[in-house]
Amino acid sequence: MSLRSIRQSVLILGFLGVSLTLLFHWMVFFWVSTEATLGISQRIFYIHVAGMWTGMLAFIVVAVCSAMYLWLRDDRLDQIGRAAAEGGLVFFAVGLTAGPLWARLAWGTWWTWEPRLTLSLLAWFIYIGYLLVRGATENPEKGKTFAAVIGVIAAVNIPLIHVSVLWFRSLHPEPVVVRQDGPALPPDMLITMLTALLAWTILLFALVLLRYGAARLEARAEELALDQGTTT
Amino acid sequence: MAHVLEARDLVRRYGPIRAVDGISFGLVEGDLLTVLGPNGAGKSTLLGLLGGSLRPYSGEIWFRGELRDPGVTDWRAEIGVLSHRTFLYGALSARENLSFYGSLYDLPDIAERVDARLAEVGLSEAAGRYVREFSRGMRQRLALARTLLHDPSLIFLDEPFTGLDVHASALLREVLVRLKDGCRTVILVTHNLSEGLALADRVAIQVQGRFAFLGARHEIPDGAEERFYREWVEDL
Amino acid sequence: MSRYLRQVWALAAKDLRVEFRTRERFVAMAAFVVLTSLLFNYAVDWTLLNPRDIASALIWMIIVLGGLLGLGRTFELEKEDGAMEGLLVAPLPRDALFLGKVIANCVLLGLVEVLAVLVVSLFFQVDFTQNWLAIGAVLLVGTIGFVSLGTLFSGITAGTRMGETLLPVLLFPLLVPLVAFGASSTASLLAGFPPAVVYGSLRILAAFSILALVSGVGLFRFIVEE
Repeated sequence: MSLRSIRQSVLILGFLGVSLTLLFHWMVFFWVSTEATLGISQRIFYIHVAGMWTGMLAFIVVAVCSAMYLWLRDDRLDQIGRAAAEGGLVFFAVGLTAGPLWARLAWGTWWTWEPRLTLSLLAWFIYIGYLLVRGATENPEKGKTFAAVIGVIAAVNIPLIHVSVLWFRSLHPEPVVVRQDGPALPPDMLITMLTALLAWTILLFALVLLRYGAARLEARAEELALDQGTTT
Repeated sequence: MAHVLEARDLVRRYGPIRAVDGISFGLVEGDLLTVLGPNGAGKSTLLGLLGGSLRPYSGEIWFRGELRDPGVTDWRAEIGVLSHRTFLYGALSARENLSFYGSLYDLPDIAERVDARLAEVGLSEAAGRYVREFSRGMRQRLALARTLLHDPSLIFLDEPFTGLDVHASALLREVLVRLKDGCRTVILVTHNLSEGLALADRVAIQVQGRFAFLGARHEIPDGAEERFYREWVEDL
Repeated sequence: MSRYLRQVWALAAKDLRVEFRTRERFVAMAAFVVLTSLLFNYAVDWTLLNPRDIASALIWMIIVLGGLLGLGRTFELEKEDGAMEGLLVAPLPRDALFLGKVIANCVLLGLVEVLAVLVVSLFFQVDFTQNWLAIGAVLLVGTIGFVSLGTLFSGITAGTRMGETLLPVLLFPLLVPLVAFGASSTASLLAGFPPAVVYGSLRILAAFSILALVSGVGLFRFIVEE
């Protein structure tokens, strides 16, 4: 993708993403009906789930880009991966903030070992490791390789971790287990949920593209600076 | 004569910095190529690429007429690398170090070979002592024994004279002379002009990742080596 | 094929020989195990808590933390005098290097685990003899996975400025299955349940370890290649 098309896409997707975000926030606070058992506090649920979902989506992007980078060694794959990791970090942070807030209001405790929440916390740390490793090497190429290896191995292990977290929860059930995504979400809740998911997925892509464009510019600037330096 | 080793447009970069910036050359079997150049010219990086411990960003290396595949390990058995780092384990004895490398190279009759090499570099009495007790000169001699243990046909030496005393330097020179038996090809990287030129068949001067000069030894006028070298290095 | 195995063996033997002579890693890990258990004794009000209730958790956390100490220094030997380059230049498949390190680390960690069991049983009067074979099996299977991941990540951290401090950040998230299933099965076994009870956990631990080992074998070459 050329830099111009990146800029255009960022603008379009960004605009769309922000608009949809505003829309679904309006829906969450003013439009959707209140859930019977939990009351008004349940409204955070949309934000929490949307954050988690987007974070997971970013994770998949990181995993795929990492594997492909190890195979093809194209710097652009590495840049996309990094952008996705940073984006995922943001959305997971939202989810990890909204989650405990909701838990406090719904069940009186700040933290529950709810599988989705736990998995996101772990994934969050994997992102941190992924990003830390990049900058910690002498040779930048090595940093990219290390990060890619982490991306792949984390992805490979996530299913197993997921199983463990679920299994552990089944042995130690929470005092009140609410099926948030129950058998049938009433239509207005469903629409709100889907709007939220769509809004943040688009926003994620916008952010990733933005970061990717910035990374490309950085790389170009470095090369130019170096060429300047040697032609004297 | 066909080239035993050929480098085509080798590039090695660290981020945006190109330590090796498009180097090409060919070596005929039995040649000794000396690579001279100031610090930071990328000479060690070049040896790393040729020796197979570094991967090129772009470019090819051909060995005996075939493109070298980093995934395959067979060609490594024919390469010996002596770096300014010794590759030794301090907690093992000299003999244990060599035996270890012997098993890595899967050599037959390791014990005899080890003894022979140790004798060659004058370390037979010290064979059972731990390497961490060795002096710098002894370690370098042991490293040389390690390099030649598996009888490589391609030998890369990176600043081998550094830190050697008179006795050890003489020993190294003797070994180098013996290596020029027509079947072995040697690349010697050094910034020591006199040692480097003494045995060279061909000479390269590497500056900022490129070969500023590549030619036969006799192209460098006797008695004017210093001036010749400085001209090439300062020209850029 | 046998050349490969000979090389792996030579690597593992070299590491173990050096470790046996210098005892650097083992002493550090052993001291950690003993001292942590000692501190732990003072951290708990034993009138409220029965040692057997948390023996399994204690053992596993000690093994993970103590193991971390040793694993972080897996490639320390190769850093001194640039020996890593010597290994890369040799006709040594990169995964053979990985397996050699894993084997050496497993032996080292195995010894530390035996010590941990002895210390915990001594300090807290916990009986490990009943079901000792099953407990040993759980530890063994789990250790393979733990060491595989630890060795792989140690290869990464050895190439960074942050070094060993980065290792827990990378490693711990992936150890959830190990600790969850390892500790729970050990607890069941310590409580006297028959070994058959932990077959399910053992299968998951085996999956974890096989996955870790295979990933390590496949990915190590990327880490160590320059």
